[in-house]
Amino acid sequence: MTAFRVAESGRVRHDRPVEFQFDGRSYQGLEGDTLASALLANGVHLLGRSFKYHRPRGILTAGSEEPNALVGTRRGPGRYEPNTRATVQEIWDGLQAESQNRYPKLSFDLGAINDRLYMLFSAGFYYKTFMWPRSFWERVYEPLIRRAAGLGKAPQEPDPDHYAERHLHTDILVVGGGPAGLSAARSAAKSGARVVLVDESAEMGGHLLSEPGLVIDGQPAWDWLAGMLEELRELGVRVMSRTTAIGYYHQNFLALCERLSDHLKEAPADLPRERLWQVRAGQVVLAQGALEKPLVFDGNDRPGVMLAGAAQTYLHRYGVRAGDRHVVATSHDSAWHAAFDLSDAGSRVEAIVDTRANPSDALREAARDRGIRVLSGHTVTGTSGRLRVNAVRVNPVHDGSVGPAETLGCDSLLMSGGWTPSLHLFSHTKGTLRWDDESDAFLPDQQAEACHIAGAGRGLWGVEAVLQDGDLRGAEAAEAAGHKPESGAFQVENDRTGSGETHRELPSDRKPGRARAFVDYQNDVTAKDIRLAVREGMKSIEHVKRYTTNGMATDQGKLSNMNGLMIAADAVGKAPPQVGLTTFRPPYTPTTFGAFAGYHRGDHFEVVRKTPIDSWAEENGAVFEPVSQWRRAWYFPRQGEDMEAAVARECLATRKSLGIFDASTLGKIEIAGPDAVEFMNRMYTNPWTKLAPGRCRYGLLLGEDGFIRDDGVIGRLSDDLFHVTTTTGGAARVLTMMEDYLQTEWPDLNVWLTSTTEQWATIALNGPNARRVLEPFVEGQDLSPEAFVHMSVAECRVAGFPARLFRLSFTGELSFEINVPARYGRALWEKLYEAGQQYDVCPYGTETMHVLRAEKGFIIVGQDTDGTVTPDDAGMSWAVGKKKTDFVGMRSLSRPDLVAPGRKQLVGLLTEDGSVRLDEGAQVVADPNQSVPMAMIGHVSSSYHSATLGRSIALALLKDGRNLKGQEVYVPLPSGLHKARVTDTVFYDPEGERLKV
Amino acid sequence: MSKASKINPVRGPVQLEVMEPVARFSLRVGKQGRQQLGQALGLELPERIGMRSSQGGREALCLGPDEWVVLAPEAERETLFTAALEAYAEVPHSLAEISDREITLRLEGERATDLLTIACPRNLELMPPGSGRRTVMGGIQVVLWRDGQDAYRLDVWRSFFDYIHSLLETGNREFAAEAQLESQSA
Amino acid sequence: MLLIHCPYCDEDLPELEFTYAGEAHIDRPADPASLDDEAWRNYLFIRSNVKGPHYERWRHNHGCARFFNAVRDTVSDRFLTTYRVGEPRPDLESLIGKEGRE
Repeated sequence: MTAFRVAESGRVRHDRPVEFQFDGRSYQGLEGDTLASALLANGVHLLGRSFKYHRPRGILTAGSEEPNALVGTRRGPGRYEPNTRATVQEIWDGLQAESQNRYPKLSFDLGAINDRLYMLFSAGFYYKTFMWPRSFWERVYEPLIRRAAGLGKAPQEPDPDHYAERHLHTDILVVGGGPAGLSAARSAAKSGARVVLVDESAEMGGHLLSEPGLVIDGQPAWDWLAGMLEELRELGVRVMSRTTAIGYYHQNFLALCERLSDHLKEAPADLPRERLWQVRAGQVVLAQGALEKPLVFDGNDRPGVMLAGAAQTYLHRYGVRAGDRHVVATSHDSAWHAAFDLSDAGSRVEAIVDTRANPSDALREAARDRGIRVLSGHTVTGTSGRLRVNAVRVNPVHDGSVGPAETLGCDSLLMSGGWTPSLHLFSHTKGTLRWDDESDAFLPDQQAEACHIAGAGRGLWGVEAVLQDGDLRGAEAAEAAGHKPESGAFQVENDRTGSGETHRELPSDRKPGRARAFVDYQNDVTAKDIRLAVREGMKSIEHVKRYTTNGMATDQGKLSNMNGLMIAADAVGKAPPQVGLTTFRPPYTPTTFGAFAGYHRGDHFEVVRKTPIDSWAEENGAVFEPVSQWRRAWYFPRQGEDMEAAVARECLATRKSLGIFDASTLGKIEIAGPDAVEFMNRMYTNPWTKLAPGRCRYGLLLGEDGFIRDDGVIGRLSDDLFHVTTTTGGAARVLTMMEDYLQTEWPDLNVWLTSTTEQWATIALNGPNARRVLEPFVEGQDLSPEAFVHMSVAECRVAGFPARLFRLSFTGELSFEINVPARYGRALWEKLYEAGQQYDVCPYGTETMHVLRAEKGFIIVGQDTDGTVTPDDAGMSWAVGKKKTDFVGMRSLSRPDLVAPGRKQLVGLLTEDGSVRLDEGAQVVADPNQSVPMAMIGHVSSSYHSATLGRSIALALLKDGRNLKGQEVYVPLPSGLHKARVTDTVFYDPEGERLKV
Repeated sequence: MSKASKINPVRGPVQLEVMEPVARFSLRVGKQGRQQLGQALGLELPERIGMRSSQGGREALCLGPDEWVVLAPEAERETLFTAALEAYAEVPHSLAEISDREITLRLEGERATDLLTIACPRNLELMPPGSGRRTVMGGIQVVLWRDGQDAYRLDVWRSFFDYIHSLLETGNREFAAEAQLESQSA
Repeated sequence: MLLIHCPYCDEDLPELEFTYAGEAHIDRPADPASLDDEAWRNYLFIRSNVKGPHYERWRHNHGCARFFNAVRDTVSDRFLTTYRVGEPRPDLESLIGKEGRE
């Protein structure tokens, strides 16, 4: 057994030793230990170096509020976690931990020079020390500071673990598994409510785990606890340990982080590391207890200095003494009990130093019985010891003046500055706090959510009072949730009630400027820093916080906020409630990115939508590109082809004979009802009344602001039925917009909209041989040019499948789009592909589609338009019904700005050198010799190499572009300045002869 | 999807089964003539959102104030269309076929509800057996049918199906791993 | 995540099923052509941007798909009520009286 372990004590398994490593050295702990308790059992107090001054630091607490004992833990490749709190990490066989922020080693750290230079690093030093010369900030100061400061290092490898999510709905959520939480859960569950009880620790019990001497309802505390947990199980309470409530949001929505595998040596491969629970609770009971405050004095950060309550926890829960010779410094009764318990466990307590002049007689008597010296009315003015405390300097205080010092030797200094109700989650809800003079603490005041605060969280002290209060709050919550409350009574023996005082930094006989009295351990903020901040003009606590960084570390000021406030209030000369607290924000404790990401990583990062024909494209070597959430075949390279070669081949093959294209991602909306045509007239710019069933038309959709939102070919299947297509990316947006108008502006219209995007697989056949290939497959529709003219639609059968067949063209070639139910998409594709072999059918992807349409000057909404382009800007006034009196966006087309000269208009651009392909997005200027910055007259929106034309082509939006036709403009690119001629947008077959095949 | 396939029958506590396609329609109709149209289609059209009816192999689920999803055996597809067409003049409506828009996954097992909660923010306890809803799973719109205490059907748009399916498989494996761990420590 | 009452489904449902859809009670003019430029601009772009109770539109897009109206306090992010399209603006005073003002 290790030197500081107390035989047969604690909740650890003395029969189950656990080997672990710290900084490469092997140690033995016990099952049930945290890393901190196991190291303490081995007499190890030095765990790391501090953030700014690289001061040696040890273990301050026994819980998640720990600011100091941060280590790196390693659990195999990729599983390195920095800044793990040693007080929370459970040990297991083979755990490797290492100290942080030290070089070359923990006991001798070069960075500790900062501690000697502390005058340089006072509050706001960033803003003062490194002001000059200005250019040094980026190159010299910042890199230096970044290297010197900071804690753990982020791991480099991808995280191999996976993380889970769950949603949970419950009547009542109880946060905190201590006495108040347990009794609240029980009374609520007994009333019939569904109850969830969570606690961040490995075990339920909270404070009861640290005070086994209590007798509750006639039973030893731990027996009572076991019975209680059994009862909760029988009542159906969902009890979740290792689960931290990290955030409390609107309408009783809370986030919980459950840790599933960090405490295990081996976990099943499919077990997530952590799980984020999103809980909606009818009522919430917050039973988070209270956090002990440090006392603020010179050297209060030396390893071996620990909160008295933590020492009590180490002793009782883990069977570990925090040292051999203790001095206890306190302003609260609770620390006396820690001293007594340690004394009873065989430790020597040199003295109890109480800042109060008159601690109670009962306490003095109990100390006397144990032979413990009592120094009341004393202050602590310093500690010594290089890597561990070896002495404490104390002085009597009479009427505010500090008397002569005395030095007490020790290897452990336990301190208590009283207790702060833990109201972090309550603060998340914007619940307000009020100052309570009696307890010198902020207590909950106005609630913003349906929550109930139980126990020490609302300033109660003593286990009986807390149990009773929990029971009542649980019943209260159950009643609010609509259940009949039931409450019980508790009787506690050996209950240690008590009280204390709250201090700013302790008085000293030494020069205050030299004191290293820490308020925020993690960010190395001292009492002096806070006073300096106030002197330099920071009067608001929010400014003090930001200037000094007090409370801004990962512990969220759990230990520092109250002490910081007391000092700031004193410096400002106001009472604490007038200064106020800064806001606690989620998460309550540091939470992994993995927990927030949950399933959204790897294959589940985002959905990848695939068409029914995607698998064929994949098998045939397609390269894909993402288009909104879809992945689409981009091009189909053959052996040795790059993208440019593949696209050129695909374009030529389509124009020459036949191309086949998967257009399934196009949005499709079925518009049906007696008022369908009226609805179409109101939504689209085009007139629809005279469009005969069996015909289709290009439709242009504007926003009410007059700018182009979407386009597509729309077929009229019958008087009352339209098959609308939208752009791939616009499908959902267009349907939403249509529904909006229909539901809220024109509810009188008898028309209904259904998304059929995924009902249909859509295959486009393009090229002079399109009809020859398709014709033999079609039943129920004559495909001859006379019977099925350009811009026709028919319901028929293709290859035996029910189909909606369109004749339209987005390439300028003879073209058909065949829609069949999605399940037949691939089968039809394969049949057409096979039949097309005699015409050298060429499957092509989105890039070729883009080139072919650009050769024809067809726009892509979102590429050649940007939300500020009107139909006229795009040269598409022909699509606007001249006789219409209204449609969405029509009124805006006559707004002054939209008819003013100087609008950007869509034009073609041909570079002087046809081998130059302009960059899309490149800016266009009229005069290349003007001085920089040049006046830009527009930009290139589409640009390709056209194999058909043997040169590059581009579309551009240019100011007064149509008036510039024939003129030369210039496009400055990284490759040089390029001259281009402004042209019409149609580069190929302007007469449309090729459609007449 | 020619055969209903049992996915991972042993890998997790919940049976996940990809269903055979059925004839599926989105039916939209105003208040007037609603019941008359229902009769023509051989179905009662429940008026409350989330309520279902079934008759002779046909099912209807009310998704919105004027919206139902209607299921029928594949062989009755034409029959339904014809019946609707005949009723149209008197009761204008929209009957759009969506048989291929969605793929249906069936979940069954004691932990089926838990499994859905890995992605579904709704309180499923408020959705009793015999009801259904359009809702959201993992950010994706689905139609959820609760067929029993521990049995559900999930209609997912075709291109989102694999995503949801593999997400649920992941959760299912997770549950299995947790059960394994519990049995080890027990 | 807010819990939103859908007035069509008559259920309190997670915000994830809903999308926000801008200020409510801004009707599209019956005859836009008759509006002068300023009136049309006001319809298009001018919104109240209130601090406090705000009449706004939501859509239960992953549910019954209906647009509906709501009064939400933009300070507390609390819904005071939701109601169907076409119903009149609820009286603010009675709503605030019911919920209690912060």
